[in-house]
Amino acid sequence: MKIAVTGKGGSGKTTTSAALARTLARRGLAVVALDCDTNPNLGISLGVGDQETERLLTLRERLDEGGVEHAPGWDELMERFGTDAPDGVRLGVITRIENPEPG
Amino acid sequence: MSAEQLLGSGDFGTATVVADLEAGLGTLSRLEAEKVDLTVVVVEPTPRSLDVGARALSIAREKQQGRTLVVANKVRDVDADLARVREWLGDVEVVVVPEDDAVVEADARGIALFDHDPGSPALASLASIADLLV
Repeated sequence: MKIAVTGKGGSGKTTTSAALARTLARRGLAVVALDCDTNPNLGISLGVGDQETERLLTLRERLDEGGVEHAPGWDELMERFGTDAPDGVRLGVITRIENPEPG
Repeated sequence: MSAEQLLGSGDFGTATVVADLEAGLGTLSRLEAEKVDLTVVVVEPTPRSLDVGARALSIAREKQQGRTLVVANKVRDVDADLARVREWLGDVEVVVVPEDDAVVEADARGIALFDHDPGSPALASLASIADLLV
């Protein structure tokens, strides 16, 4: 099942995403939380702390800078660019950092 | 790889994916049709937030992004706020989340609401979303 959480900035989108992810994980589901926001702070709301959230963002920036030749599959992406959050949630930051399209 | 590319790429195996999209309508607008099973639209009972919510609902329905569910957040007056939500969004499935200082406190401390105040009313409401999915 894939769930998209959307809304205006400040509406509580990230708090909702985090609470839903951890609740589903506590009920025994394997949950992947994807931070797609250009201001990525899902990690903080999930409870991995700001340092780990910042580290993930740095990894993501490196990916955007072209360090990876072929787009990896989601599992490889989560393995390399994800982290473990409380209750067994696996968190990945997939925000495209603001940068110009090549060409 | 962008968020919509990853979400659209499909197979996450048996995992349940919760994607916190970018604020506003960007990711939802770019996402190809029929790529998610449920679209959760989070709104505050304010005109600007409800306007974005109405447009998000419209896009999600047009592109058949699964079931749609509205989270009415930061609700102070259930009757009045719910009426406003219905006025803007019509007859939709709504989960009401009360205004709750615990959310603000958790944000200020940079920790999860679950870890700050597991018994908070807002968290209880948000957790109830999971009940609607099984």
